[in-house]
Amino acid sequence: MSDLEAFRAKVAAWCESMVPAFGKAARKGLSVEEDLALGRRYQKAKFDAGFAGINWPTEYGGQGLGHIEKITFEGEEMKHGFPNVYFGISLGMPVPVLMQFGSDREFVKERVVKALKGEEIWCQLFSEPSGGTDLAGLRTRAEPDGNGWKINGQKVWTSWAQYSDYGVIVVRTDPTVAKHKGLTYFWVDMKAPGVTVRPIKLAGGDSHVNEVFFDDVKISDDHRMSPVGGGFAVALTTLMIERYVATDSAGFGPHLDLFVDLAKDVKINGKPAIEDGRIRQQIARNYAMRAGLDSINRRARLMMQAGMTPGPEGSLNKLVAVRSRQKLSELALDLQGTDAFPFDEHASPKDDWASSWINAPTGRIAGGSDETLLNTIAERILGLPQDHRPDKGIPFNQIPA
Amino acid sequence: MSILHDEGQQAIATESRRVLEARISKDDLLPLLETSGRYHEGFWTTAKEQGWTALALPEAYGGLDLGLVELGLIAHQAGRSLSGAPFLTSGFGAAKAIELLGTDAQKQRWLPGLASGEAIGAVAFAAGADPLPARPDLTCASGHIEGRARSVTAGLAADVAIVLADEAGTPVLALVDLAGVERSAIDSFDNSRLIADLRFAGTPAEVIATGPAAHGAALQILALQAVVTAHEQTGGAEALMEIARDYAVTRKAFGQPIGAFQSIKHRIAELYGLVELARANCIHAAARADQADFITAAAAARLSATEAYDTAARDCVQIHGGIGVTWEIGLHLHMRRSRSLALEQGNSLFWEDILVDRLAGEAA
Repeated sequence: MSDLEAFRAKVAAWCESMVPAFGKAARKGLSVEEDLALGRRYQKAKFDAGFAGINWPTEYGGQGLGHIEKITFEGEEMKHGFPNVYFGISLGMPVPVLMQFGSDREFVKERVVKALKGEEIWCQLFSEPSGGTDLAGLRTRAEPDGNGWKINGQKVWTSWAQYSDYGVIVVRTDPTVAKHKGLTYFWVDMKAPGVTVRPIKLAGGDSHVNEVFFDDVKISDDHRMSPVGGGFAVALTTLMIERYVATDSAGFGPHLDLFVDLAKDVKINGKPAIEDGRIRQQIARNYAMRAGLDSINRRARLMMQAGMTPGPEGSLNKLVAVRSRQKLSELALDLQGTDAFPFDEHASPKDDWASSWINAPTGRIAGGSDETLLNTIAERILGLPQDHRPDKGIPFNQIPA
Repeated sequence: MSILHDEGQQAIATESRRVLEARISKDDLLPLLETSGRYHEGFWTTAKEQGWTALALPEAYGGLDLGLVELGLIAHQAGRSLSGAPFLTSGFGAAKAIELLGTDAQKQRWLPGLASGEAIGAVAFAAGADPLPARPDLTCASGHIEGRARSVTAGLAADVAIVLADEAGTPVLALVDLAGVERSAIDSFDNSRLIADLRFAGTPAEVIATGPAAHGAALQILALQAVVTAHEQTGGAEALMEIARDYAVTRKAFGQPIGAFQSIKHRIAELYGLVELARANCIHAAARADQADFITAAAAARLSATEAYDTAARDCVQIHGGIGVTWEIGLHLHMRRSRSLALEQGNSLFWEDILVDRLAGEAA
């Protein structure tokens, strides 16, 4: 058995042992607050077992292992539906960026360890009402205030802000230069005076995203994580941290096996749906697509193990998987006819077709919309030209609103 | 056999691409469309000279003992160059049938020639719309074949064929020496593939498998060929994606390259997705050739590669506008090839059924 296989076996055994306390059955019927409390205990258990911050430096409480061990862990962990969703963004982007760019190293170390233990949560304050994809067009501003800064404005779609202790934020510090040149990157205390968080209820019924208002929020200059005017580069670092994260070719919806089972159960014109050509074609097409993603990811893992750099094709995962999950979920509801009407808004999108369907649009928009991902593939991988951008090179305060 | 494309494998890919780009041009390929019975002889000479015909065959019979991953790399380049790889896939399929099912004498008789490329092989299982008929059109009785095998790729030039025939209600796989067999060329939309009807009239044949074993072996041979063809399709799709990209960055309209319009750039980005999914499925299938899940992997590769090549052919022409439909620019060479490759080795409908039977646990 290779070292990695031994690691995987150890992880699998640990995950199994966590199921009674933290698995789907243990979470059933919990309120979000109760589930979060359970999640904090799970994160602590993960830390104690040596599976938190797997590829982070040991001096910051991490395990000092590689990316490959991290995604191996995530692949196993993903099978069990543990309450880890509250820490995904926190440990995925803001905390690694804090580790890289935070100036007060003692403070950084304390925060990183608390975040790894699930005691503190960080959010990422990027999107605004005026735009999400057009990040550099943001309007929240920070003005010099004594030795520090004063922030005013509004962020939106901020995941888990209502439970966050800290956040990283990009704001405009100079409106007189081209839009992406006038930005600066800070961290903020989410409990500071002037910070107001209002949850937004989404179409599927949950409220994990928020509006966050800043009214004369004062911060000292040691909150700054980029040069003044250099915030856009740090923001891009945040978004580019990892291309090959643990992925799911089912687009975080139900596995195709569940669709096959459904097609065996229900009838079309008196015959099992699995015998219907229309249904068979969809099963075959979805299988071929998902198998392609699985092969891309399997090969990428092998390349990383061999010290090679995987190709850019990993960028297809989210685009391809989530939109096909949406269509397949629609078809699964069609297959059930009026039996599909009973709806449980607390069901998991991983094993319930209605939940998968109603939450799928969020997946196609959050973290880069389909259209943005296609632009990225076209421009970065294929070398096609950028879209026409009328605001390019124009000082921010002269761009027509 | 690594799926990571190590140095040796990269050398195979780079060298075959270099040779094919130097030796095959659109100007050679266009005239082949307007005659029947001619193929790109330069490709076959190159394939023999480079050892591609021997690549995936056993060393004991003049082969190089490499695998489907390596043959796939060649097929991918053949697809890019539009060479059509005449006889490469069919010769491989016929040789694998003999290697897996034949007697020592049959292997001695045919494999060295197929490995060197001196002998050309064909595989004739299909009866029109049915790629693998339970009741084949051909009949076999006491070692003799009767009937017509329709539209057999490479049939016009082949020396040996593996056929599926019916022997008193039971399917058999048989090896047939084609010397003296009457053949008539099919005038097709993709003429350089030497598609022909073969007319058997009491032709001597050697049965190499009988009953369910014959059907299972035929599916295995078909799947092996389908994986080679899927690589060829993926290569063609990749070339078209690059042609579309190159055109979109140079051609201007309304004061900017047309590639700056999202209707164009997203179309090309979608092609990238189809090509990479097909490539990943192809590499995976090639590496699973000896495993229990090979048929499933081959079906996935075949379906995604057909979709990639069909879509790329459609969209690349569309992105070119009027110039795209001219004879001279030759994009129709890819259109034609994308269809001929989609029809050979079982169409998408066939592979969809094969795949779903397995996923639903209903396969024999």
